[in-house]
Amino acid sequence: MPEGKTMPQTRDVVIIGGGHNGLVTAFYLAKAGFKPLVIERRPQPGGAAITEEFHPGFRCSILAHAAGPLRPDVVRDMQLEKHGLKLITPDVAVTSLSPDVRALILYNDANKSAQEISKFSQKDAAKYPEFQESLAKMGKVIGEALTLAPPNIDNPSSSDLWGMLKTGRAVRNLGKKDMYRLLRWGPMAVADLVSEYFETELLRATIAARGIFGTFLGPWSAGSSLVLLIRAAGDAHPAGSAWFAAGGMGSLTQAMASAAQQAGAEIRSGAEVIEVRVKDGTATSVVLSTGEEISAKAIISNADPKRTLLKLVDPTHLAPDFVMKLQHYRMPGTVAKVNLALSGLPRFTALNGASDGNALTGRIHIGPEIDYLERAFDESKYGNFSRQPYLEVAIPSLTDPSLAPAGKHVMSIYVQYAPYKLKNSDWETQRNALGQTVVQTLAQYAPNLPEMILTHQIITPQDLEDTYGLTGGHIFHGELSLDQFFTMRPLLDWARYRTPIQNLYLCGSGTHPGAGLTGGSGANAAREILKELKR
Amino acid sequence: MAVSTGTKYDVIVIGGGHNGLVNAAYLARAGKKVLVLERRYVLGGAAVTEEVFPGFKFSVCSYVVSLLRPEIIRDLNLPRHGLEILPLDGTFTPMPSGDYLWRVNDHGKTHREIARHSKLDAEAYDEFGKAMQAMCRFVKPILSMVPPDPATLNPKELMKLLFIGRRFQGMTSEDKYNQVQLMTMSAIDFLDQWFETDVLKATMSASGIIGTLLGVRSPGTAYVLLHHYMGEIDGAFRSWGFARGGTGAISNAIADAAREAGAEIRTEAGIAKIIVKNGKAKGVVLANGDEIYADIISSSVDPRLTFTKFIEDGTLPAEFLEEVRRYKFRGSSGKVNLALDALPNFKCMPGPGAHLRGAISISPSVEYMEKAYDDAKYGNFSRRPYIDMVIPTLTDPSVAPPGKHIMSCFVQYAPYKLRPGLNWDDQKEAFGDNVINTIAEYAPNIKDIILHRQVVTPLDLERDFGLSEGNIFQGELSLEQLFFLRPVPGWAQFRTPIKNLYMCGSATHPGGGIMGGPGRLAALEILKDFKGAA
Repeated sequence: MPEGKTMPQTRDVVIIGGGHNGLVTAFYLAKAGFKPLVIERRPQPGGAAITEEFHPGFRCSILAHAAGPLRPDVVRDMQLEKHGLKLITPDVAVTSLSPDVRALILYNDANKSAQEISKFSQKDAAKYPEFQESLAKMGKVIGEALTLAPPNIDNPSSSDLWGMLKTGRAVRNLGKKDMYRLLRWGPMAVADLVSEYFETELLRATIAARGIFGTFLGPWSAGSSLVLLIRAAGDAHPAGSAWFAAGGMGSLTQAMASAAQQAGAEIRSGAEVIEVRVKDGTATSVVLSTGEEISAKAIISNADPKRTLLKLVDPTHLAPDFVMKLQHYRMPGTVAKVNLALSGLPRFTALNGASDGNALTGRIHIGPEIDYLERAFDESKYGNFSRQPYLEVAIPSLTDPSLAPAGKHVMSIYVQYAPYKLKNSDWETQRNALGQTVVQTLAQYAPNLPEMILTHQIITPQDLEDTYGLTGGHIFHGELSLDQFFTMRPLLDWARYRTPIQNLYLCGSGTHPGAGLTGGSGANAAREILKELKR
Repeated sequence: MAVSTGTKYDVIVIGGGHNGLVNAAYLARAGKKVLVLERRYVLGGAAVTEEVFPGFKFSVCSYVVSLLRPEIIRDLNLPRHGLEILPLDGTFTPMPSGDYLWRVNDHGKTHREIARHSKLDAEAYDEFGKAMQAMCRFVKPILSMVPPDPATLNPKELMKLLFIGRRFQGMTSEDKYNQVQLMTMSAIDFLDQWFETDVLKATMSASGIIGTLLGVRSPGTAYVLLHHYMGEIDGAFRSWGFARGGTGAISNAIADAAREAGAEIRTEAGIAKIIVKNGKAKGVVLANGDEIYADIISSSVDPRLTFTKFIEDGTLPAEFLEEVRRYKFRGSSGKVNLALDALPNFKCMPGPGAHLRGAISISPSVEYMEKAYDDAKYGNFSRRPYIDMVIPTLTDPSVAPPGKHIMSCFVQYAPYKLRPGLNWDDQKEAFGDNVINTIAEYAPNIKDIILHRQVVTPLDLERDFGLSEGNIFQGELSLEQLFFLRPVPGWAQFRTPIKNLYMCGSATHPGGGIMGGPGRLAALEILKDFKGAA
């Protein structure tokens, strides 16, 4: 690596941040003949999709433990399997536990799921495949919209119009019934949606959870159905499926990095960009913490919009009302992460000790009632973390023994709600209290869990911001709400991966579609940016 | 044996609420032979004045007027028929701290008052007003248009969508930004962008939740906030007022206009069934068995009553009925009407004064408002509710004996569905006491000056006023139940799957409040179809 401090080296494209979207963008740009340089702050690329050893011999997906799932075209184009990605998709999608010692197991196969549901309600069992079909139909349409760059509202280009026309036609092809469903569901509360279809509380809550995950919404919040629909675009299973990677999510981003590098991208880890230099409204170079300056024709930020435009860029280069609107862009994190190293496999009473643990190979949902989830949300509204949190648990070592010593296990837990801003306290003080709450909650379902814990790693929203650069600790780079979606993501008029600063672009989850680990934002951004670069 | 009463009408309007009466008035003025059938002894539906206690004339349900469409006041010449709107000046919010927030129509005063809490907010307040007016200008024409059907390829419908699109295009990108947020955000998220004073945000957000089972932090409430900002009397935005003689006077003025135009109005004539023969509405059967026939039946009662009570089972397509069942009512508010011996005395501003002449709002903080909602979510009435109080006797002494007063208290939340084990008839008095205790925290003398108390629960609203689940807007004003989705997707144009049966109540676009929009728009559609048939 050249000691470029004396004379700044010049690149055609610099990408700030080696998260999964940054790597996807890098790959597509490299494919198109550019030589993007990805600059990653941490020792390894991957952003929120990383695998680390958190206890001697125990590795797990430190943050995200399941993918969105990834957009098929991205997997195909990047040939991720060839680059070492081994998918693990157990046929158990979700196992939902209730304190009354019953478990609802949902499979990838709708009919198999229906059989399980029939143990709770024949009516629901009959409705389930119908619901999945509707979700699939609408998901397909939304999927089309998700692959579009949001149209320019003021003066749509011909390609905008074409895109809108295509989506418009797709919407019409839904037929009157599903079209109106789409219009009606979008703004609805997911609690209402699921109760329109199902009577079993456990099933309702399990599906509704998909509409609130990662957001500052409760199941009774209007608009939570939209989140469910966005997810359905990638995966029509009402409760979602389990999309894991052998070796944890880190191996997914490793495969992406290798694909990008092979295509001609360069990745520099352990190098932190602290400033984007702007000259007369045009981004000219990035400055590293070492003082090294790298100039580039195009600078693309995988960091969230606030971090990019309010921190890395000196806001004085931006119009005051743009800055004000961006400050109002909502990204209050609500998710924490707890990783456990276990001396064995805990026995879940609801599975009456099913020893093979097959039921545990998918995602494990804890949040048995709509009201349970809503109450968990209530506390976060007033700046407290939920005393009875909604948990999504994975035990990846069951399907991938390489993650833990023989007979031992790792447990990965999303914890919601853990509001970024605590009322008269801070996360350093509350860290262990949060860990205890999670363990106590789990112990209600697996009484022998506590004695099996060798260590726990607690990642608070504050850590997500400080260590992983997620402003506000928001795992989606901003709320997924109607007012921050599609042409409004991150801001109305600025949803097309450009920024008010020439040659500075966004490619992270803070841009459309931005719904978790899908690669959607990175792929869309690359396509739009290429149009510009080729001009 | 049912007797058929001789005369046949062009139109029978079911329900003598303000929308039914507006509907009848417009149809009669167009020369149609119209009959209005009201179940109660008095006209007005929820816009009614009743002498509940000797000498005390309560506006039992709806108590202020603001949204009544100006074109209706004009077309029906309501002032000549006795409508007189008296201005309601300002909103007074007492605070537990002993402080208060007092906004009045006088711009300078309000500016100074808000500045007392926050200089920044005082500035922002003016900007906010301007922004909201721009939004209103965008939404108003939509309020007076028949919703398009986006699911058809009918050019006429698409033109309507285009019209809206064009208007949206016409806005500055600043206004677009606000409009989009307004349509989707929560009242508090929206207000947070403008203001820092908690009590100001709390009081302003209140209008975003009225009549819905949503909280000030629920997405979609910002729109309802606008809905209430649309208040327009004599062209002045955001002005609210009383009708002299109580809210019922509005209904009476409309009824008078309808009668003058030739409409016939019967009270204590509740209907039992709508007569449908091979897919066509033919007439109605009254509770007393009489049958009355008409070419067209226009129902101002809500869809649940119209389609599941008045129509024989098996007449309507199952899918349509499914949608009707899905239509959300969930009333969330109640009323406590008080006959007072004297005026309440507020700790934070003792003695009588102008602050009692406007609305008095118990909405001291955003957290207070949200906590009130939390109680309701789980089937309890709010331990500390949001209360909007007015004392009409200070503006219109005619509604109470000399020296006495009326205080009308709108209370939220009072969820129609209480948690298992509770029912409203048992909870009624406890609910009333809780409201009085809440008020007493700010005006301790309240308990000593009450002569009579009328408590109106959501169940009362359903039983006595025919509002399903006690929803004052005939169905929640939530995004998925507005415009071309109101009341039922595909049936937002006042017509129904049954030929010659129409809807003209608040359950249709543009929705609730004493607005008259639905009654008028429905009448215009009905007249269109008459022409088409002729």
